[in-house]
Formats: sequence, structure tokens, C-alpha cells
Amino acid sequence: MSTYAATSWTLAAMVAAFVLSSWRFKSPELSMVVTALVGALVAGLGFPAHLFVEGTFTFLDLAFIFITACIFMNAYSEVGAMNALVRALVVRLHRRKWLLLMVLALLMLIPGALTGAGVVSVLVVGGLVAAVLRLMGLAEDRVAAFVFMLGILSAVAPPINVWAMLMAAGANMPYVGFDLVLLVPVLIIAAFTVLYLGWGAVPQSKEAILAGLPPLSPKMTWWRAAVPLAVLLALALGAKYAAFTLPTIGFPLMFLICAATTVAIDPVRRPVKRWLEVVNQTVEQVFPLVATMVSVGVLVNILAATGVRGLIAISFVALPIIGIYATSLFVCPLAQGSLGFGSAVILGTPLIFVFNAVGANVTVVAAAFSMLFALGDCLPPSRIVGRTAIETVGYKGSYGSFLKATAVPWLVMGIVALAMLIVPGRAAFLVRY
Amino acid sequence: MNDRALVGRRVGLLLASLALMVVGTKDIRALRAYRETVVVSEAFTRQAPLSTYFDGIRGTLMDVPVFVFDSGVPGGSVLILGGAHAYEPASPVMAYVVMENITVTQGKVFVIARANMSASTLGMLGNAYPPFFRVKTPWGEKTYRIGDRETNPLEQWPDPFTFVHYPSAQNLAYQDSRNLNRTFPGRPGGNLTERTSFAISELIRREQIDMTIDVHEASMGYPVVSTYVCHQRAEEMCMMAAMILSAEQFPMKTETSPKSLRGLTHREIGDFTESFAVLMETPEPFIDKFVGPMTEALMLTGKDEFMQTAADRGLLYAEYDMKTGATLDYRVGRHLGGAAEVIKQMGEFYPAKKVGVSWPTYAAVMEKGIGAFLHDPAKAAAARVFRH
Repeated sequence: MSTYAATSWTLAAMVAAFVLSSWRFKSPELSMVVTALVGALVAGLGFPAHLFVEGTFTFLDLAFIFITACIFMNAYSEVGAMNALVRALVVRLHRRKWLLLMVLALLMLIPGALTGAGVVSVLVVGGLVAAVLRLMGLAEDRVAAFVFMLGILSAVAPPINVWAMLMAAGANMPYVGFDLVLLVPVLIIAAFTVLYLGWGAVPQSKEAILAGLPPLSPKMTWWRAAVPLAVLLALALGAKYAAFTLPTIGFPLMFLICAATTVAIDPVRRPVKRWLEVVNQTVEQVFPLVATMVSVGVLVNILAATGVRGLIAISFVALPIIGIYATSLFVCPLAQGSLGFGSAVILGTPLIFVFNAVGANVTVVAAAFSMLFALGDCLPPSRIVGRTAIETVGYKGSYGSFLKATAVPWLVMGIVALAMLIVPGRAAFLVRY
Repeated sequence: MNDRALVGRRVGLLLASLALMVVGTKDIRALRAYRETVVVSEAFTRQAPLSTYFDGIRGTLMDVPVFVFDSGVPGGSVLILGGAHAYEPASPVMAYVVMENITVTQGKVFVIARANMSASTLGMLGNAYPPFFRVKTPWGEKTYRIGDRETNPLEQWPDPFTFVHYPSAQNLAYQDSRNLNRTFPGRPGGNLTERTSFAISELIRREQIDMTIDVHEASMGYPVVSTYVCHQRAEEMCMMAAMILSAEQFPMKTETSPKSLRGLTHREIGDFTESFAVLMETPEPFIDKFVGPMTEALMLTGKDEFMQTAADRGLLYAEYDMKTGATLDYRVGRHLGGAAEVIKQMGEFYPAKKVGVSWPTYAAVMEKGIGAFLHDPAKAAAARVFRH
């Protein structure tokens, strides 16, 4: 049997297994593991235990980031700092709805822009932003859509865009010249998202909003609320701009330091037992997301081992350019949903070479593809930023209704990215070294 | 489900997970524990740990042996750097074939076969690489590790969210903090990979190495496949070597190291030492992302239907025919021929730096296979057998 026939057969069996197990177990995590198992069996690999175990570690770092960032934010809420910040924003900017929404959008952009991870933006400031948006009259589904869209835009925003960095590294391009060509589209799409999702929202009166918020802890001063966030900002800036002086501590320790800082500024001095409860609740809260990462890692490893990953990749990159234009808006996001940042390596790098061969400005092309990949962070099987967004904002509706609320800004972002891909020369003036 | 049943279920799942971990980590543990064997040639003079040149890596997996083959006759010196990227297996195998067969009549040759030893002790996550590959020899099979591109997180963790290259301050992707070929010239107070780069740079400076040859493999969709990438001080000898190889042996391109691309050996060793910095790339379908099942056979033969489709669509930067593939023999043979020719050119351009050296040729390897040039450790003198 040819490799095409064998891998197509394996792919068909895996799709069938995923559909059936999703119907039977109602759990995407279990379904992914069953799908991997079926794929391995159909491909004649038997039960490759080491590939399953190895796969569980693929996204270990991301799982640590989720857990520690959530511990920090839950501690921050526990001491009343989040409430204090929300109140301060409402008091100062209540009458200027659009200015307030723009400030919230910029707040969302900063953590992801500095770290390259949209999920960090969602976890660190998503809860605060959601609380204010709700009070400004945005419907629940729009609140989740706002947090998600700004989350993925923050990951695309400069200076750190991991997709572009991975494509640049694979294509032997220096990661320079990307700042404006990433920033300008991100700001345009962010502005559209704010206008679209904020349109028609009617804020309650300031008094009603403040009455509806939990009472402000008398000892929660502005500096207490600011210190943990300032520590996070300082650690992030230090890691980038004082990299030769400071040791590399990584995200998980950064968030734990911020959590410890939060405990230190707690005006009420809660007992250790209460903090242990907060940690336990956080782990319960994050567990489904971590389970998803573990399962996706297993599935990705089996896709590679069986050759199905190669089948999908070659089917896409071997298309004529017009075919790549026509399918990028679907294939790139779906690849991101399956492979995470691996999508930039598996599809992105070969595509850079394809576009380079036709004389396109590859910096613009890489920026465009990074936006297309980012769109996949709400798509199965992983749905990382999408799921984190709805969990952070406490959205109770269906995942489908969240996607529906996101659809228009999502499509606008896709169209902007496609336009950059089709006529990269028009955006080349934004490439500044 | 009552509480008792729930506890029972949880205990059952925990035990099943533990059993899976024990069974599933067998290959992973074996990869970390396995040591490759090399039987050095009679030209072998001495070996020293890399920490001889910089103490900051002593006691780590990166403190690899440096093998020296010194003719005792005045001349130039060459460092062959294998295994900077452990997932490019033709690189360490080329270094081993050199070490097992080299004769030196003038000058001296230094060899590091596993420049990033740590990277060779784990598979590449998400890529499902087989842990080992075997080479057939007249006396049996010889087993080698297939590793990762980057230093094992067990040795270096966590990653920064962006890697800031020293000293240029250029931002690189986060995992490049563990990529030996992005951390040159190295930083004595840096992470383990940066310290290893610094140790190698120190070796080059202290031993006054005239030419450093960093041996790699490239995906075929990568423009610099089948190419010498050379620092501008070495570009003329690389161009001459590429012309001669292309005319007489196999297609070889040459490219001058871009000045804006930081951290790579061909840029930083050239800038921060007196050595002529040369990097060689050979075509390796196994590390392309659009190939079929990840198997040992694919690594050894390079035969793949999807790769043929990519070739037919003009997506590759080297000639490819699925019938011949890109075998390990071909890739190792190219490196042996490529290194020999560029060393020869250094002697032509700079007679005082001439290195008289020989090892199996491209033609000999293509005819007999690399197995014919790997020796049986069981029959060799103990002083010539090294495990690493």
C-alpha cells in the first residue's frame, strides 16, 4: 500500500474514532486519547506506550503556566485587589465609555505582547476586564468574545510574536523588522473589535454599578493593588531588557512570585489554611485545561508517528498559491487548534519558502500567517485561549454561542491577514529595521 | 457513583497511569542511559574534557570529550564539531567515521562528536522520533541515538519567554535558549547551552584552531541544504571547494554567513575567534515536517512519497528522487568529502595552515557503506575504545 493510501486510511479511522468517542464519552480529552490509540493501531504501531507517555509532556510548560497564573489571579481576587481596580476604573472612566473600552483593550494587549502568550493576557487581566465590561452593559457572550479576541491579538502584537519567531528561525531570517507590520494590523483589528462588541451596550449608572460590586476593603489601598501587577511587569521587562543580568526564572516562577507578593500585601492577613484552599480551588478550576493539553500532546505525537501529520502538511503546502489563499483561513487556524505553536514550524516555515519563491515580502507574509495561526486558538481540539477566556470570564453559555459572538471580529482579523498575504507589497512599508 | 466506588476508580486510574509511566518510559530511560562506542584510529593522540577550556560546564552532560589527532608536524589545525543538533544524525556519525579512520600527516585535528550531548538524550517532543538507529557493519550492528534539536530540559529549564542573544541582544524564539547553534559565541555566566558555546569558543581561541567545521543536516525545503555556509573570511575557500565538489563528486552550494543572523557558529566563531568558520548542511528528509511515518527506515534511507510530491511541485532546494532517497551513507559521505575539500582549500590559500589529513572518501562510502568503516570494539585495543 502506498504511503498516501495508508495514511489516508489511518486519517479516516482517526476521524471516525474521534466522532464516535466524542458522542460516547462527551469528553474531548478522552476522545483525543482514543483517537490516538485507534490511529496507532490502524497504522500498525500497536500500542506505542513510549509515544503516549512522551506526548503527555509536549505541553508541560504551558500547563505550569496555566496553573501558576491562575493561582496568582485567584490570590489577587481573594485579597480584594481586583475589586479595587474595577472600582477605580468605573469611578474614573464611567462617563467615557469608548475611552474606557479602549483602555481595557490596551490593558489586554500588554501582557501577551510582552510574553508572546495570549493565554497570559486572558489569565492575568481577563477577569478584571470582564468585570468592567459587564458593568458597562456588554452581554455575556460579547464579554467572552472581547477577552478572547484581545487575548489572541496580544499574542500577535510585538515585541514577542512566537509564531513569527518560529517561522523566522526555520527560514533563517532574523526576527527583526516585525514591530510595525504586526502592531498596525493589531491596533486596527483591536479598534474594530472594541467598536463592534461595544456597540449598543448601555452602561448602568455609576451608583448602581458601585452598589453592585462587593464592598471595598478599607485597607485595600491603590498601592497594595498595584504592587503585584508592578512586580509582574518588572519581571517581564527585566527578562527581556536585562536578560544578561537577571537569571532566567520562566513564567511559572514569575507568577508564583507575584502570588507570594499578593499574599504579602493582603490587608487582612488570611491564614495559611485559606491560601491552601485557594490553591486547591485553582487546581480544580484549571484541571480540565491541563487535561486538554496532555491529550493534545498525545494526539500530536501519534499524528507524527503515523504520517498523518505529513499527509495534512503536504496536502496544504503543495497547493498552488491561489489554493493557499483560498484555504489559509481554514487550514491555518485548524492547524493551530491541533498543533499549537507547532503549526508555525510544520506549515509556516515551508510556506515562507513558497512565498519567498514568488518574490513576496516574507516579513509581511510571516506576520500575516502569525495572525492566521492565532485565529485557531478557539478551535478544537485544544481551544486553549477560547476555553481559558470563557472560564476566566465565567461564561455559562455554550461554546458555540461564544464562537458566534466572536465570528465577526474573527473574520475581520482573518480578512486583514489574507489581504496582507495576497498583496504583501502593500504592507511592505511597515517593515522597518 | 458512591464515595467508595469513586475512590476505587481513582486508585485504579492512578495505578494504570503508573503502569503506563513505567512501561512507556522504558525507551526514554534507555535513550538517556545509552552510550555510543567509538574505536579511534591509530592517529589518536589524546583526549580532554571540554571543561579543560572553561570550568563552567564541569560535571554536566555538556562536558564532552575532545579528541585530538596530532601529526606532530607543524601545520594548521581543524576542529570538527559534530552533534550540535542531535536530531541530525549524519553529523555525529560523520565525526565517528573520521575518528575511526583518520590519518594525519601534517597539523592536527580536533573532533567533538556530540557537541550537545544533552540534546541527544531525549526525543523531540511532538515529533515521535524513534530513539535509536542501527548501522549494519561486517561484524554486527552499531547503535546510535537520535536526539532532539535542543538541550534536554532536564539539564536546562525553564526557557525564557524570549531568548535574548548575547552579546547582540537580538531576540530569538524562546527555545533557542537551548539551541547550541544560536548561543555562540557563548556567555560564561549564561545558561548551560551558552556556557557550552563559550567553552567551545575558548577551545578554538586557546588551541588557535585555524578552521572550525560545524556539521549539520537540513530539511530539503530549506534553501541552504547541500550548502557550505561560511564566514566572509572563509568564503573564497568555500567557493572553491564547492566548485570542485560539484564538478567532481556531488552538488554543493556555498553561501556567505548573513551578518544579521546572530548566534550561529558560521557568524559568531568567525567574528569572535581567528578561526575560519564553516558550516555544512546535507539533505535530510527525516527532519522535514511533511514526510510520512517517522521511522528508523526513513532516517536511514530518506525515501518518502510525500517528499517526492514536494519535489515534483518544486518545493525543495535540492534534487530528490524517491528511488534513491537520501541515505545515511550519502549524507555522511557528503560530509566527509565536504570537510576534506574545504580543509584542502585552506592549505591552498594559506600554505602555513595546511593540514595533511585523510579519511574515507565520498566515493568509498557510497560504494561500501559507512558500516565498512566502523570498527568492532570487541576486537580493538582497550586504549582505543571510548564510550560516549
